Amino acid sequence: MAYREKIGWLSIVAMAVTFGPYFALVAAHAIPAAALPNLRQLVLFGITAVVQALILGAGHLYFRRRSLEEARTPPDERDRAIMQRSLSLAYYVLIGGMILVGCMMPFNSTGWSIVNAALFMIIAAELVRNGALVANYRRQA
Amino acid sequence: MMDGLISNRIRVLRFLNGEMSQAELGQRIGVTRQTIAAIEGGKYSPTLESAFRIAHVFGVPLEEVFKWELIETARPGDAANSPTDAVPTDAD
Repeated sequence: MAYREKIGWLSIVAMAVTFGPYFALVAAHAIPAAALPNLRQLVLFGITAVVQALILGAGHLYFRRRSLEEARTPPDERDRAIMQRSLSLAYYVLIGGMILVGCMMPFNSTGWSIVNAALFMIIAAELVRNGALVANYRRQA
Repeated sequence: MMDGLISNRIRVLRFLNGEMSQAELGQRIGVTRQTIAAIEGGKYSPTLESAFRIAHVFGVPLEEVFKWELIETARPGDAANSPTDAVPTDAD
C-alpha cells in the first residue's frame, strides 16, 4: 500500500473515532443546549480536536518511520492527479454544506447548532476527500 | 467519439533491458514504483511527458511502448446510415 494511501486511511480512521462519537453525542442532545459560549460543548469539541490531532500525529510518525524513503519522495504526477480529483469532489460537498449552513440555517437555528452543522460539513468534505483518495489508489493499485 | 484502449509493452521492455525493476524505471523518469505498476497494468495513463521519458529510457520510439487500439462500438442507426447505402449501384 502506498504511503499516501495509508495517510488517507489514517485520516478517515482518526475522523471516525473522534468526530463520530462527537456528532453522536450532539445528535442525542447529550450536551444541554445553552447560550454561547456553552462551555460543556466547547470542552467536548476541544477534547475531540485534541484526540484527533494526537491520533494523526502518532499515525504520521509511525507510517513515516516505516517507509521513510517513500514519505520523503514528493508526490508524482499520479499522486497529484488523484489529489486533484479527490479535492474537486470534496469541494462540492463543502460548498453545498456551506450554502446550507451559512445561507439557510441562520433563519431557523442559532448558536452551536450552526457551529456543529458547519463542523459536520467540513468533516463530511474531508471524509469525501480522503475516501476518494483511498478509492482512487485502490482502483489503480 | 471513438473509444480506445491504451496498451503498453513496459513489462517486455523492462525484461529486455536486463530485467529493470519498476522502482529503477520509476526513479529514472521521476515517478514512484506504484505509478509504474499502475501504468504497466493499464490502470493509469501517464502524461505525454512521462510517456516520452519511458520511451527514452528504453531507447525506443513512443509507439513501441504505447499502443492505442480502437474499440469498435456499433451505434444504433449506424447500419442504416452507413456510407455504402449512399453509393449508387448499377441498378440506379
